Amino acid sequence: MTTELASQTVFEWFVTILTGGVAGAWFVYDVINLIRVRRADGRDPLIRDRRFGYVIGILIGLAGVLGCLRFHDVV
Amino acid sequence: MGVADSAARRMAQAEAAAQAAPPPPPRRVVSPYNPANAVTASRFLFLPPFAWAVVNGYHQWATLFILICGVLDKVDGLVARVFDCRSAFGELFDAITDGICFGFALILVAAYGWAPAIPVACIITLGVLNTSMRMVYARRAGRAVNYKSYAMERIVAYTGYLVGFATAQFEVTFYYWVFVPLMAITIGHDTKRMLLDSIPPAPAPAAPEGAR
Repeated sequence: MTTELASQTVFEWFVTILTGGVAGAWFVYDVINLIRVRRADGRDPLIRDRRFGYVIGILIGLAGVLGCLRFHDVV
Repeated sequence: MGVADSAARRMAQAEAAAQAAPPPPPRRVVSPYNPANAVTASRFLFLPPFAWAVVNGYHQWATLFILICGVLDKVDGLVARVFDCRSAFGELFDAITDGICFGFALILVAAYGWAPAIPVACIITLGVLNTSMRMVYARRAGRAVNYKSYAMERIVAYTGYLVGFATAQFEVTFYYWVFVPLMAITIGHDTKRMLLDSIPPAPAPAAPEGAR
């Protein structure tokens, strides 16, 4: 076990697809979650916590996708 | 006389109702030696090979080991549901394991120059601060309790990814510097809830299988 697992190109695309896929899915998932709770009672601390968590999740998803695009010099 | 009669009748009715009501289900005790906690503990097994890969400069192997460690973090929750062995201890153990595994990995990649030191120092400091406040929260609640935060769940998952970005050398500076303000905002939000807001009541004890 003295060599790496795959060529550098394959490895970079594996990490890109994994990161971009998870981040993109995460973004969509939390956008849907946020839409679902938009009419819930905002005075409930649990609802407020969920909304905040979904917004953080959306930002993380955006950052993940943006990082992939930056890595491949798209943006 | 009439008042005494009605009082005696009410007492008799109350006793009859108490006898007719089913007894409360016995509190279910989940052993700490359960499959979910075994999966959680198994994550520690991947730290020595991870350290070996980092020390020897094997980026792909290091990525693989931290990826397995991250996947096991998701698997233990699944195992707890399948084997019905969720417990307060298990939740705390999972959170502590997250902190140790990802904290160790972050320090290691920063020490070997695979990740920028300043954001890693900020992340470790914020993580220690968050752990301290969780302990204060458990003391305020008067029981072993893991503070549930939707935002922090996402931040912890991102932390696992951060180690992977460092081992894969994948836009490291960008991802680390984006993470620091997100974590600071989340901890600021959670601090208010843990230290100032009211604590929700303890959940009802789980009933045994036969009582459901």
